[in-house]
Formats: sequence, structure tokens, C-alpha cells
Amino acid sequence: MTKPAEALPPAVEDYLAEVTARLPGSARVHADIVAELRAGLLDATDSHQCAGLSPAEAAQAAVLEFGDPGEIADGFKGEIAASHARRVAFALLLTGPLVGSLWIVSAATSHLAIRLAALWQWSATTAGIGVGIHLVAVAAMVTAWAALLGIAVTGRLTRWLPAKPSRAPIAAAVAGYGAVGADALGLVLLAAELTLAPGRLSPLPVAAAAVASLVRLLLASRAAHRCLALRASLA
Amino acid sequence: MRAETLKGHLDGILLAVLETGPRHGYAIMEALRVRSDGQVDLPTGTVYPALHRLERAGLIEANWSEASGRRRRVYQLTPAGHRALDTERSSWRDFSAAVSALLQPAAPAVSPS
Repeated sequence: MTKPAEALPPAVEDYLAEVTARLPGSARVHADIVAELRAGLLDATDSHQCAGLSPAEAAQAAVLEFGDPGEIADGFKGEIAASHARRVAFALLLTGPLVGSLWIVSAATSHLAIRLAALWQWSATTAGIGVGIHLVAVAAMVTAWAALLGIAVTGRLTRWLPAKPSRAPIAAAVAGYGAVGADALGLVLLAAELTLAPGRLSPLPVAAAAVASLVRLLLASRAAHRCLALRASLA
Repeated sequence: MRAETLKGHLDGILLAVLETGPRHGYAIMEALRVRSDGQVDLPTGTVYPALHRLERAGLIEANWSEASGRRRRVYQLTPAGHRALDTERSSWRDFSAAVSALLQPAAPAVSPS
């Protein structure tokens, strides 16, 4: 904001505080919603004042006209959940291939036994790891499809789908936990590989991939948890 | 008219109000009252989440504008919004024509005797 906000009539200020208190998420998430409602309430106050009410009466009338603060907050809850879910889904879709290619680079720069094996033959390089690699692939697929679904239902498709605000946060949460699964499993496999066949991996790329996976795991788990919390907050 | 009566048509109504040009939230509400001769009188606050949903659906777009020290979010129809409004209009015409025909007092039946 470039200029200091206009002084708010107490009735308007109380009303905005009541709506904000019911909104899920941080003040940063609320800022635009509150700014928009504030302008609307002040416009309404002006309009009532033009009609002859005193400033205090006009503010009171504006607040009455806007209706139950709980109803507005309920209306915005679905929107907040949808935009959070959409951001999470995009982030997961973008970081997935990134983390995945770090692991591929680590394998490609590692010991001959791994480097020379084709992608689909890695599973044969160390006994027992094969199953794990397949599970990582399954988790990655779940993540990708759930994220795509989350993006689809929060965008243009909104027009044709029956309104169901819980859909997007659930899809994003599934994608998030899918990513947690893929990354956690990847790290477990790394630990297994280091124990079973030490010295075959090249340290630097592997460290980079492991750190990337760990960071993504933590962020995805937080985001997925928040998606579920937002879903729970929907009436 | 109460909110429940309008349910399912609010989106089309909001698009229709924006057809004449960009407006901010409160101006949309005022236009709604004026155009409906005061028949539509929703709680103003309910319009804002609906506008955000239409924006997410790509039917309208919003820009912040600042006038006389007040930052307002101004909405306008997108090409997809124009198309959605056309569809909404024609389906409403069909629907209301059918219901009007059905609610029409029937021609008095010839009394049997």
C-alpha cells in the first residue's frame, strides 16, 4: 500500500476484525481480502452518508448491509482453501521432476555398475532395492496425478463442476503425502545402498539429491497438513 | 428476493452486471439493486466470495485500482465470461419460457354434462 489507510469508523473496524478472526490462514493470506472488504465497507458508508445519515449511523448501516460476518468468512474459506491447494499442487508438479533429475544425475555419475545400467535396470543393481524403486515410482505417479487433479478442479473446470470446496484441498493433500512418501522412500533406499554397497555412489551429486529430497519432504508434509486443516475448516 | 431464491443464478447475474463495463465490488452491488428495481437485495458481503470464485474460473479478471486514496479491486468480464453469459442467457430464456407456459392459467375446460 502506498498511502496510509483511511481511518476506519469503529463499526467497520469491528466488523473487519470479526470476519478476519474467522478466516483460516495467515494475515498475509487475508491482506487482499480485508483490503477489498474495507474499501467496500467505506464505499457503503459514503453512500449511506450521502443519503443523509450521520457518519456513525452510516457506518452502522454499511455493516448491516454487508450481512453476517460468519457468512462472508464461510464464503472465503472455500476460496482460501482452493488457492492454497492450487499453489501446493503447482509447487509439487514443478519440484518433482527437479528432485527426480537430481537423483538421476547422482546415479549417472556414480559407480559403473549403476552408471552403465539403464534406468529400468537399476533395480537389479543391488538386491532388495528394486522393489523400493518401483514404490518410489508409484508414489511419484500418485503425486503427479493428484496434483494435476488439484490444479484442474481449482481452475477453469470450476465452471462446469458442481461446487464442492473440499475436493481441491483433499487432492492437494494426497499429492503432498505422495511426495512425502516418494522422498522418504528415496532416502531410505539411499541409506540401504550406502550400507549394502558402500563406495559406489559419487558423494557430491548424491548429497545434493538427498538434501533436495529432505527439503521437499519437509515442505510437502507441512503443506499437505495445512491442506487437511483447511479442509477441516470448511463448514 | 432472498439469497436462496437466487441461488444458482447469482453467477449469471454478476456476469450480466459486468457486461456494461468494469466495476468494483460495491458498484456491482449497487448496479444489482438498481437494475432489479430493488428486488434483489443480497447481503453485500456475499458478493465478494462469489466474485473471487468467478475470477478463479476465468470468467472475470480483477485489477487493483486506487482512487481518492481507496484501493479497490475492479472486475471485468473475460472473453470466456462473455461466452458464459450468452449461454446463461439462452438457457434462462428456455427455462423461463417453459415455466411461463406451464404456469399460464389453463383455458377453462368445457364443463362435462
